[in-house]
Amino acid sequence: MRFVGFLLRRIVGIAFVMIGVSVITFAISHVVPADPAVAALGDHATDAQIAAFRAEYHLDRPLPEQYATYVVGILHGDLGKSIRTRRAVADDLADSFPATLELSFAALLISLLVGIPAGIWSAIYRGRLPDVIVRIAALAGGSLPVFWLGLIVIGLFYYQLGWLPGGGRLDTFMSPPPTRTGLYVVDSVIALDLDALRSSLIHLVLPALTLGYFSTAVIARMTRSSMLEVLGQDYMRTARAKGLAERLIVLRHGLRNALIPTVTVIGLTFGSLLSGAVLTETIFSWPGLGRYATASAISLDFPAVLGVTLLAAIVYPVANLAVDVAYYWLDPRIQRD
Amino acid sequence: MKSLRHASIAFAVALLLVGACGAPTTPGASGSVSPSAGGAASTLVIDQDVSDLISLDPAVVYEFSGVLLAHNVYDTLVRFEGTDLSTIKPGLATSWDTKDAGATLDMTFKLKTGQKFASGNTVTADDVVYSFQRAIKLNKSPAFLFTDIAGLKADSIKASDANTVVISLPKTASPAAFLTILTFTLGGVVDSKEVKTKETGGDSGSAYLLDHSSGSGPYAVDHWTKNTEVLLKTNPNYAGTKPPLSGILVKHVPESTNQQFALEKGDADVARNLSPQQVAALQGKAGVSTTTAASLLLVYVGMNVMKKPLDNVNVREALRTAVDYDGIIRDLLKGNAKKVQGIVPQGLAGANETAPFQADVAKAQALMKQANVDKVTLDFLIPTGQAPGGVAFSDLGAKLQADWAKIGVTVNIKQQPTADLLTTYRAQQGQLVMIYWGPDYPDPDANVGPFTDYKSKSIAYRNGWDDPTWAEAGRKAALITDPGTRAAAYKEITNYVLHNGPYVILYQPTELFGLRSNVKGFNWSSIGWVDFASVTK
Repeated sequence: MRFVGFLLRRIVGIAFVMIGVSVITFAISHVVPADPAVAALGDHATDAQIAAFRAEYHLDRPLPEQYATYVVGILHGDLGKSIRTRRAVADDLADSFPATLELSFAALLISLLVGIPAGIWSAIYRGRLPDVIVRIAALAGGSLPVFWLGLIVIGLFYYQLGWLPGGGRLDTFMSPPPTRTGLYVVDSVIALDLDALRSSLIHLVLPALTLGYFSTAVIARMTRSSMLEVLGQDYMRTARAKGLAERLIVLRHGLRNALIPTVTVIGLTFGSLLSGAVLTETIFSWPGLGRYATASAISLDFPAVLGVTLLAAIVYPVANLAVDVAYYWLDPRIQRD
Repeated sequence: MKSLRHASIAFAVALLLVGACGAPTTPGASGSVSPSAGGAASTLVIDQDVSDLISLDPAVVYEFSGVLLAHNVYDTLVRFEGTDLSTIKPGLATSWDTKDAGATLDMTFKLKTGQKFASGNTVTADDVVYSFQRAIKLNKSPAFLFTDIAGLKADSIKASDANTVVISLPKTASPAAFLTILTFTLGGVVDSKEVKTKETGGDSGSAYLLDHSSGSGPYAVDHWTKNTEVLLKTNPNYAGTKPPLSGILVKHVPESTNQQFALEKGDADVARNLSPQQVAALQGKAGVSTTTAASLLLVYVGMNVMKKPLDNVNVREALRTAVDYDGIIRDLLKGNAKKVQGIVPQGLAGANETAPFQADVAKAQALMKQANVDKVTLDFLIPTGQAPGGVAFSDLGAKLQADWAKIGVTVNIKQQPTADLLTTYRAQQGQLVMIYWGPDYPDPDANVGPFTDYKSKSIAYRNGWDDPTWAEAGRKAALITDPGTRAAAYKEITNYVLHNGPYVILYQPTELFGLRSNVKGFNWSSIGWVDFASVTK
């Protein structure tokens, strides 16, 4: 019951966050010095065309009225029409968000599968070779520019070795599986389309590695430091004194406790994976939200920018909520509080 | 509770393991063309940044990618063939003539019989009337070519019988310019019978034509996966010669390095957005060739004559004279541009070959002295990103800054996104502004009008340059029908603007393409398209 109350409070909080985000984004996108009409219609447009455009997007109305129109639209499930693509923003988001979600999940998976074991390993062998290797790799992961890394892995694994595709979500000429979730891996499993499954998985490898390297490094370093802290605790000594196997001590007694701060980082990381996908998506021709957001921002497509921001405003708190729920589950002390 | 937690951990670990096992363990498939998909051998794969693509509807498209595709899907009444932009050839119309009808100039077009849309319907005069009236009614980006340049209204277009279309132009419009407008995608003829069945909520079928096609051209739209690719397949009912290639796949690949890699690996047949450096790197590589094509763009600096001392013609001439054009083309653009200094690009009738300026510091200093201007500081607005021809705008800006410093002109470079820059420029608020211009239709009037006519509220207006005599000369030249007389008139106007106008025309860029060696017939027209029907591989 306490858990339900906790959940409800968080959900109400998310609603407030969204109202705040929408006001701020709306204000920012409407006070930029450039005219969205000029951005959309370009160098050759006549004054009459620009006036018609401003009327169409209510840009000729006072700002509070524009905001009210926008909010009424949202409450009716209408995010407005994109200036750049001339489509409903909701349709654009529905097209591009699943691609980013799939890529971010894959990157997160890699971060967890590699980052946590690397962190544990590094902590156990503190100061020795494995630790040095992990720390160097983590340092590199935290400092290599994504753009550079992406081009390097494409150059190596696609151009030189030919092992993996150099971009896109599927092989050329392959039709996507019927859309259920927009996640090609999931959709191809649902459709039992093994070719599409294979193709979508191999197309995920390089972008997910590139995108996930930074978060792998963060998670590895976090796991290492919290593991080191835990390894020095009294209960660990007690466990050893009881004569338990080292493996069991580390994994059952140590890791569980060391994971708590790591989980916080994972939540934040997932948010940054979604937003950090911009460059990765460009390098790997990945038709996702990051590229949509960039293109929209460049062309002052404020309905699209608002749509992306609202979506992000949902994703971040939801990721944080997931972290809180994980806490609740990992740390019995929170349940007692 | 505890056992539940353990079960959850076990489940999570299991999921991760499944993920790991399911993860790619099958190398070898390198995203290459899969033969099982069919048609790979006869499909041209073009890697291109198509982030500008918003519609494939001929009444709407006005962006590079959309125009390239729609041109190959929709036939027009008249057309240019290949790269030639001087001779109008028959399209859907076999013949046309212009008659003075008193208040208007009436142009009559006779349609070729037996032309068919992809649907199988016959092309009739009604389709032409519907298509043009539809473009005027929708009033999207390119519609001004019909309504403003040609002065058309919906009732200016009539079908006098099933195969004859009569279009009445006001006498202020140029028939020569109108014919070139008709070659553009805006003049694309849609299948009115089919499109009418797709209309929803009075949209004239624009929701349908956004990503479907209904034309009589050699190709038809198979699908457009947003942000990913567009596939054209041959129109089974095309009346002309069947195209050698059965499909054209335009893939959205924004990063030029990927385009280069894919081209070298044979995964792409054409790479559209290569830089001069990448094209240089491709030279001599097996299986790959490169080609260049003219563009109609002019990269220029506008000088706002409303800002002192740019109101002084000698200062403007000094700024033009001081620039090292050859150095820009040779060093910054690696030769991928032509030295053009007039306001009409090479390739159009009326282009003026005269290029008198080249880094003459002494002469520029003398001109400054003559203007009685010693030291001057000006704001110099430049766009962010790459300039046409493949050089960063910032590099061009820095080069000009150095050239002008030699004659005592200090410029403060302010780099802005194009939309911000245009907002300032359009409001006549710039001082020196670097930007580029491409004609809306392949006729000298499309440049001479904007560059000379203050009243057209285009480029001359933005630079505060109001010279009614020469604006009138430009309007008159547009209406001349004899090509020789017209060329002479344009020569006089462009010569005047060369030394008196508010422009430093920097260069006319060249377009670069990477091709697989087996790709033939890829003849890029400087309007911004290629006839896919003439390409083989």
